[in-house]
Amino acid sequence: MPLGLAKPAAAQFIHPDLESLMTRMAAVTERRALFREERRIAALSQPLISTGSLHYRRPGWLEKRTDSPVVERFLVDGDKVVLDTAEDGRRSFDLGQAPELRALVDAVRAPLAGDLDALRRGSQVRFTGTLAEWQLDLEPLDDQVGRLLRRASLAGSGDQLQEMLSVQANGDAFAMRIRQLT
Amino acid sequence: MPGTTRAWPVLAALLAASVLLAGVLLLVVRVRTDMIAFLPEGRNEAARLVLAEARTGTATGLILVGIEGAPPAELARISKAMVTGLQQTGLFTLVAGGGAALPHSAGEALFERRYLLVDADFSEAGMTSALRGLLRQLQLSMAPLALQFGFADPVGAFPSMLHGWAGASPVRMLGGAWFAADRDRALLLVRTRAGGMDIPAQDLAIAAIQAAFRAASPGRSIGEPSGTARLLVAGPAVFARDAARTIKDDVERISILSTALVVLLLLWRFRRPLVIAAIAVPVLLSVAVAALAVQLGYGAVHGVALGFGITMLGVSIDYPVLMIGHRKQGEPAMATRARIGRAFVLAVITAALGLAAMVFSGFPGLSQLGVFSAIGLVAAALATWWLLPRLVVAADLAPVSAGNPAWLGPLEALRRWRVAALLLVAVAAMFLIVVGGPRWEDDLQNLSPVPAESRALDAELRAQLGATEVSQLLIVRGADAQMVLRHQESLIPILDRLKADGVLAGADMAARLLPSVVRQDARRATLPPSSAVSDCLATAGAGLPFRPDAFAPFLAAVEASRTLPPLLPEDLADTALGVRLEPLLFVRDGVWNGPVALRGLRDPDRLRAALVGQEGVMFVDMRQELGGILSSYTTEAWRGLAWSGLAVLTVLTVGLRQPTRVLRVVGSVGAALVATIAILTLIGARLSLIHLVALQLVAGVSLDYALFFARSLLDQEERARTLRTLVTCNSMTLLTFGLLAFCQTPLLRDIGQTVAVGAIMGMGFGFLFAGETPARPAS
Repeated sequence: MPLGLAKPAAAQFIHPDLESLMTRMAAVTERRALFREERRIAALSQPLISTGSLHYRRPGWLEKRTDSPVVERFLVDGDKVVLDTAEDGRRSFDLGQAPELRALVDAVRAPLAGDLDALRRGSQVRFTGTLAEWQLDLEPLDDQVGRLLRRASLAGSGDQLQEMLSVQANGDAFAMRIRQLT
Repeated sequence: MPGTTRAWPVLAALLAASVLLAGVLLLVVRVRTDMIAFLPEGRNEAARLVLAEARTGTATGLILVGIEGAPPAELARISKAMVTGLQQTGLFTLVAGGGAALPHSAGEALFERRYLLVDADFSEAGMTSALRGLLRQLQLSMAPLALQFGFADPVGAFPSMLHGWAGASPVRMLGGAWFAADRDRALLLVRTRAGGMDIPAQDLAIAAIQAAFRAASPGRSIGEPSGTARLLVAGPAVFARDAARTIKDDVERISILSTALVVLLLLWRFRRPLVIAAIAVPVLLSVAVAALAVQLGYGAVHGVALGFGITMLGVSIDYPVLMIGHRKQGEPAMATRARIGRAFVLAVITAALGLAAMVFSGFPGLSQLGVFSAIGLVAAALATWWLLPRLVVAADLAPVSAGNPAWLGPLEALRRWRVAALLLVAVAAMFLIVVGGPRWEDDLQNLSPVPAESRALDAELRAQLGATEVSQLLIVRGADAQMVLRHQESLIPILDRLKADGVLAGADMAARLLPSVVRQDARRATLPPSSAVSDCLATAGAGLPFRPDAFAPFLAAVEASRTLPPLLPEDLADTALGVRLEPLLFVRDGVWNGPVALRGLRDPDRLRAALVGQEGVMFVDMRQELGGILSSYTTEAWRGLAWSGLAVLTVLTVGLRQPTRVLRVVGSVGAALVATIAILTLIGARLSLIHLVALQLVAGVSLDYALFFARSLLDQEERARTLRTLVTCNSMTLLTFGLLAFCQTPLLRDIGQTVAVGAIMGMGFGFLFAGETPARPAS
């Protein structure tokens, strides 16, 4: 099911189901999933495909392990980010140093945490669909953040996140499909 | 008493006149509490420049701020609120407490000219590895960042440039604020628009920081932990304020307390307010004259000199006390003067000579202290000599008790223990020899009037912020900024070679951040033609999924670099980059300077050898330089000590005539000095120039005592008078210098400690050694 790109929201519409969705998301304390990401970059003649696993623990711990084509561990714990690859070694930094990265992280972490406030602090949020089949469109409010992320869309069913699409500042689209592990 | 009634008007008039004169003069005198007089001058051009920069350069406006005592999240919140608040005041050119080291806007000028400002590898091999690296980055989590600059700058010129500008920082980021790496302390770095020695402007800046902290601190919102966070501030401007405040507090406290204590002591001793009034006349006159003389000579009186000078009254007050204390009831005043005249004159001359070493110490602050004290001393003595006898007779002043005291005999019998006392001195001398002499102060910083705690806080915050002061550096000078930058560029290969050889760990300079116009033009001239760049890209990209037009922004940037004007230091004025560049490239007295900070220099000799023949480049090791300044001051002080010792000896030989008496007097002074040094060493003091000078004061005071004890052919009554009077003098010295020992200003504290200990020793050994051997009851 390819995800349609949301049009820029003409007006801020807060769907009544958004809050109940967040409540349901917040009820899940830990999540494990496999992902497959397809990066369509205009400057490249073919998409870049990567696969790996995701691990989330409420409220602020998120790990993304990429297995292929390059092994990488990406971990966010609160404001602390750790990047670990065989070639570059382990590097860490604080999200406070990079407000634009905070928006990228919050776009994923806030929906998983069911934290509507955090979500709306950084982005304009639009809910469409039903609780059984929903889509969240996020548009960063901050110009600085806009240098890295034009918009993001998350789609899912119930308390499960199934797809995520992020559109880069230059229009390149990264689409990730997520399969929950039970 | 009829004498008293006659004397009152005269005495009152004289006293009133003295008070008035002192008051008017002290009002006229400008009191300074800044530290410039206590910062040394350099011995060579480079050191002078660095020290002048330290006194008045842009770095003096730097204020280091710490916030601690609350949970980290709270500290981060306060820090961010303070940054916002301080930026709005307009008082600061720099307010940094977190976030990226450079704002985006600052980076644009650099991004545009990236291929003029740094070397880029346009070779096929370089391009091949750059493209492979970019592709790999696009497959990692940080791909959004790689997309931002990767296609416009695949060769990575911009990131390597940003790295240089941002500098290395040991701070840790927490919740968007800088924190010390080793504890929960939020850190901010601000620089005032005004210079650090502009005290009113600095007061305003520090008040703004405190206000911003108060506005951001908790206590206003309900439920939050209230008022636990603490604000710490340090930096040159804060030092200046701290020192000024401490000096002012010290001087006020000393003046009030010593005056009160001395007056009480004299009241107890003489039981008549008239005596106090009479004594006050020469003392007040001496302060007034001394302050005026210093004002005339130095343009202002430093608070430290004033504080010390007032303490010196504890010595100069001896003169009127000696005069009145030695008067027999009903004696004509000139008779008293004639009786004690020789000892009195010798005491004044030797005391003034003792202070001469301080005057010629070469340490600007200290010489002022010496001038103030010496002039005060001589003025007090002259006033005592000319004015007091008449007053004393008019008011019929004399000590209360006279006659034949029974206590004198047993007390003087103590002199039989001279040998034991001599043994004690020998033990003290042995102790000094065994421990290898007194410990010497080797850090010039410890002579500054800045309290040690303030300096410690500053050093700690600097270390945590990564803003430690560089002690080894090269100064590159030139007629304009470009000349300095070009010269620095010519040094880069030399320094790189030295770095490769392990002579040093690194060198930071302006030219690494902003190359000269010549260098930028040279890069422009060697840019490969666009066709060559595209060919290289095509070859390097073979087998990689990059589209043919992927690197169009890169090619456009290379093309634009051919016509862009070079970036000049002036272009960066009033930007975040300009603030960073300012301390590295500045103009002073019409000459441009570019300090090159040397990190981890292991072999200064090899560096010097490598720089032979480089015009306009000076190497300076500030730690060594300051140590050198200190030791040259100390050498000066020793020389002064030797000369004044010789002069005192000459005066004594001429004045006392008998070699044995000279020996007794000099011996007792020597014993007092040895014992004092031993005691100071025992309590762990590190002797400095200040102590050396204070020891001269000790010698002067001890000499006073010894001279009065050593007067010959005295009857018992006179000996009792002398002893009583000297005990009074000694107590006053102890009171005033003892108080000084409790000052916060290190310099005053050291002098107080030394003189208080020395005065006791001088009194004891003067009594034992200088006085005549106890008369046998039979004789």
